[in-house]
Amino acid sequence: MNEIEQYLAPRRLDEALQAMANGDATVLCGGTDLAPQTESGARQYTAKLLNIRRIDGLGGIAAETDQVRIGAVTTISEIRCHPALAEIAPVLVEAAEHFASEQIRNAASLGGNLCNASPAGDMIPPLLVLGASVELACWRGGAVQTRLIPLERFFVSPGKTVKLPEELLTAVVFDRPAADFVGKFRKSGPRPALEISTVSLALGARIADGLLSNVRVAMGSVAPTPLRARHVEAALEGKPLDAASIAAAVAATAEDAKPIDDVRASAWYRSHLVRVFLEEVLNDVRGN
Amino acid sequence: MMSVETEIRFKLNGREVALMVPVTMNTLSMLRDKLGMTGTKYACGEGECGACTIRIDGKTVNSCLMYAVDCDGRELVTIEGLRTPEGLHPVQQAFVDHGAVQCGFCMPGMIMQADYLVENNPNLTREEAQRGLEGNLCRCTGYTKVLDAVEAVVEAKKCCGRC
Amino acid sequence: MENNLTAAPIVKKTLIGQRVRKPDAPEKATGKTRYINDMVLPQMLIGKVLFAGRAHARIIRIDTSAAEKLPGVYAVLTGKDAAGLKFGFVRDNVALKDQVRCEHDEIAAVAAETEEIARRALLLIEVEYEDLPGVFTPEAGALVGAPLVHQNFPGNKSLSFEFKHGDLAAAEALSDYVVDNVFRPHHVTHCCMGTSCAIADFDHNGKLTIWTQTQYPYNYKMDLAPALGISPGDIRVIQPPVGGAFGSKLDVYPYEPIAALLAKKTGRPVKVIYSREEEFKAAPTRQAAIIHMRTGCTRDGTLTFRSADVLLDNGAYTSWGPTIPVIMMRTTSGHYRVPVVDFKAQAIYTNNPYAGSFRGYGNVQTTYATAQQMDMLADLVDIEPLEFHLKNAQKSGEVTPQKSFLRECVLAECLETAAKASDYSRKRKEYAALRDLPGRYKKGIGLASSIHNAGGAKIHKSDGIGTILKVDDFARVTVITGASEIGQGIDAVITLIVAEELGVPLEHVTIVNNDSDIAPWDVGVHASRTTFIAGNGTRRAARKAKEQILNAAAKMLDEPAGTLELRGGSVVRDNCGTPLIELDRLLRRMHFQAEPELVMVSDYYEPKSEPEGAKHISDHSAAYSHAVHIAEITVDTLTGEIKVDKVTVAQDVGRVINRMGLEGQIEGGIAIGLGYALSENMRIEKGMLTNPCFRDYKLITAPEMPPLDLHFIESNCAEGPYGAKGVSELPTIVIAPAIANALYNATGVRIFNPPMSPEAVARAIDETRQAGGRRESE
Repeated sequence: MNEIEQYLAPRRLDEALQAMANGDATVLCGGTDLAPQTESGARQYTAKLLNIRRIDGLGGIAAETDQVRIGAVTTISEIRCHPALAEIAPVLVEAAEHFASEQIRNAASLGGNLCNASPAGDMIPPLLVLGASVELACWRGGAVQTRLIPLERFFVSPGKTVKLPEELLTAVVFDRPAADFVGKFRKSGPRPALEISTVSLALGARIADGLLSNVRVAMGSVAPTPLRARHVEAALEGKPLDAASIAAAVAATAEDAKPIDDVRASAWYRSHLVRVFLEEVLNDVRGN
Repeated sequence: MMSVETEIRFKLNGREVALMVPVTMNTLSMLRDKLGMTGTKYACGEGECGACTIRIDGKTVNSCLMYAVDCDGRELVTIEGLRTPEGLHPVQQAFVDHGAVQCGFCMPGMIMQADYLVENNPNLTREEAQRGLEGNLCRCTGYTKVLDAVEAVVEAKKCCGRC
Repeated sequence: MENNLTAAPIVKKTLIGQRVRKPDAPEKATGKTRYINDMVLPQMLIGKVLFAGRAHARIIRIDTSAAEKLPGVYAVLTGKDAAGLKFGFVRDNVALKDQVRCEHDEIAAVAAETEEIARRALLLIEVEYEDLPGVFTPEAGALVGAPLVHQNFPGNKSLSFEFKHGDLAAAEALSDYVVDNVFRPHHVTHCCMGTSCAIADFDHNGKLTIWTQTQYPYNYKMDLAPALGISPGDIRVIQPPVGGAFGSKLDVYPYEPIAALLAKKTGRPVKVIYSREEEFKAAPTRQAAIIHMRTGCTRDGTLTFRSADVLLDNGAYTSWGPTIPVIMMRTTSGHYRVPVVDFKAQAIYTNNPYAGSFRGYGNVQTTYATAQQMDMLADLVDIEPLEFHLKNAQKSGEVTPQKSFLRECVLAECLETAAKASDYSRKRKEYAALRDLPGRYKKGIGLASSIHNAGGAKIHKSDGIGTILKVDDFARVTVITGASEIGQGIDAVITLIVAEELGVPLEHVTIVNNDSDIAPWDVGVHASRTTFIAGNGTRRAARKAKEQILNAAAKMLDEPAGTLELRGGSVVRDNCGTPLIELDRLLRRMHFQAEPELVMVSDYYEPKSEPEGAKHISDHSAAYSHAVHIAEITVDTLTGEIKVDKVTVAQDVGRVINRMGLEGQIEGGIAIGLGYALSENMRIEKGMLTNPCFRDYKLITAPEMPPLDLHFIESNCAEGPYGAKGVSELPTIVIAPAIANALYNATGVRIFNPPMSPEAVARAIDETRQAGGRRESE
């Protein structure tokens, strides 16, 4: 049983990073994952409880330039209601729309959702198809140091990421999608939201002259981490979107999705849904 | 688990409050156990039922998931703060008049969320209300009368706008 | 006023059938209501329970010494502190166990100054277990040589029931069609929003006061007493407002005697309250069962027989769950005109969680079978289902094989009303024709009905209620009644009836019904009985008071007896409404005259029903009622998701009393039934619940609730208050098979093991396609 010795709610990033330098800080933002996980004993507190919600410059969405930057403490509601994001990256807004409930969207942060590293994390597949990276900052050599990690290399296993204990996820960045980029998101469940996805799937690709390029397909809840479906992508890359390529892509899901049986669904159903959703989003794109 | 305490100050239903809280305490426990504000209910403790919904800086959140320390410097409104000196708040009144209250245990949270929805969308439709209340579980009513009440509030507000 | 003959006449306005607000709604809507969960008493300690967390085990060693030494801990109890204090239907349960028979068995309990300390104390209790092989299905439990859950129940046999009527072999021979299926209704649980909670306190005379959520306060005393080894007379039950009950509070569960044992040991009030996870694990369930049902009919669509062979998963202890065959057999024998019936049920002990009573009480499970078999038979006979149902529908005056006397029966009218309102027959044909055509989304419409007791059920020696009513000097009325308020709205019904009878404003009625030392006997909120029984009790008491008041008024005002009436807070002439004297003035004059009288009356109402009896041949309810649901759905045949687009309801309500409350009961009942049908499922693996949270145990949420089209058919029950019948269970009972029949209409698939979850539906459709690929190739 670990005891918290210190609570900190700094206003400056450097203060926060210095407090984290020993790797003994538990980061608190919206609390929507931390509270139930510590309550159930699934997660233990460390010596410091560090509230990052008051740090200047850690929030906000900058979408004016070629690179979109979403601060780590940005809430899911802010993403859902952001007019520029709805223009630039509707696939992300769509995922926010189906995220938990309004009350949770109002509290939960994007950074928290990513660091929680749930295989079912709803914001992850759309960010994967947007080619997003996460910015990690730490205090080293008497200064703030940052590094960018592509999101697809961020997750290690359920609840685990490559982020070091002394690092703080400060932002998510991705290049403004090209004009011919299309993105789609689909998650399962009869409820419109408040549903831990049995399966989620996102598609991102460019379409020019009827051919797909830069195809990215991401899946949630089919493996220990959300993943890029490389075989599905290969089946689509450079291809026209027709019955044959769709069938090949759907068949390729078996190579990428290796789900398990658990309390929410069987492996059979998850594999089945992945095929259904992929076919659905591809047909959607084809229809448009 | 014993944890360090810290002092926080915030506005609760319009009044300044200052108190010491354990840093791991959630806002729901602070309200109920420290401040005796039992209108806000515990029903799941993990953000799945909405019975503990309160407003913080104008937005609704599940108080069971919110750390009490994070209330510092902010404004909270609970179900007790909705009532006006003249009587029931219009949303509370509509819930009473439309039979939306049975056992009533989920109602403080449901009413807080309904009020938030109505305030933020003067043209709230029944479908939007259904979506907006998806994080509030009720075992008694089947939500039908809850939605009737919300619709009535929206209509009444529209009417007042015109006259 | 008595001399002011110019006063305007007061016209008669009835409240029956009007919309009346629940009296406690404003307090609840403002967060002011103090639920039991909110209560804090001076010196109160918090009790917490150590659950076994394993399904079947021997306790080798238990060491509580470290917990006892923790500062702030006042008491630690284990099995030895409850030894011999057996309680329950068959005395197979104790508050604290010395052997583990199911996951949530209570092994130890602590009372401490705070919840935090109590929790830490639990972690300090050392228990060494020796796990034993368990039985996790009734089939496994019934096998010869199966591990025994209780050594004194050989063969793991718990309760059994049987009812036979007519010559089954002859009826089978007569049948042109027989449907034969095995249904496996699943475990679900009540999910009351307010988790289980009890506060116990002993006085120096050894009298226990227990604040609890019970919905049957008087029998509760008798059921709790043996768990404590005290007399029922030494128990006072106080019922603060509760966050839902739905049948879950119709028995004593171990946390209640545990609170009392801790209170006794510490001499202080002790509160035990469950977390949501504890609630999922330790609260009762709806009874899971295996129902082998067969129904036959002739070529012209006349039912010939129905047989049901039921195996119940008793779980580790016997609460109300295994008693549901009492109602299962009524449905088997009474759902439509069934000339020959063969019913048997056996409950088998397992190491699973155990079932209590739950709104719908056995009828949810049975109707899931009977109503689907009606649909299947109509298909076999190739007759329009509506016609098939009408052909076999009972009429007023018929008596079922178990001797349920259907005095006012409007089943046919319910069927016709719902079918017409939903355009059932046309849509059914249209959707069936589209079923095998290509297309991902399929529409379906399904009809189901059921029968249920609607005037109580005399399963105890009494089904009665006591009522005391007083009218004070200010014409304020207090009704002291045994009827419990658990959110269902009997408070509004009682208020309405008093106002109707005594002509007083609704706000002038106070109800006292939450203290067993004050309120008289009642059998509790169950069996759709409270409006019927307490409504009658209230009306009879109010009429006695009225008679006393009007007699006094006639004498005092020198008016002919029998010509006066109470209206609008005054005594009026009945024929013209002319007010003669305000009621409060009259009451004061009655009180302060030479021969003073107070208005305080009492009534005991016992419905004219017959005790259930061992043979189950009796008219056990004072009324019976039917409901018909027609569900319209859209099925995503790929994901298996069912969206319920609309539900049309026609229900025999006898007579509408409080329209708003009635609608609320139907709507809420349907929501519980929808969850049962579509999404709720306790996943129990080897006795362990794997989804004890709302994230993975899915209740119906607001966006999933379909629009409802409600039709109340008024059969005017002669015995019911103003003609009313009980209503609240049928909506939970009928909706699931209506959806199941709609699913068949849409896809040709039936789910025999509910819920009809997306995965179950997708799998069934996929399997049908794999097996019947010819359907697509043809």
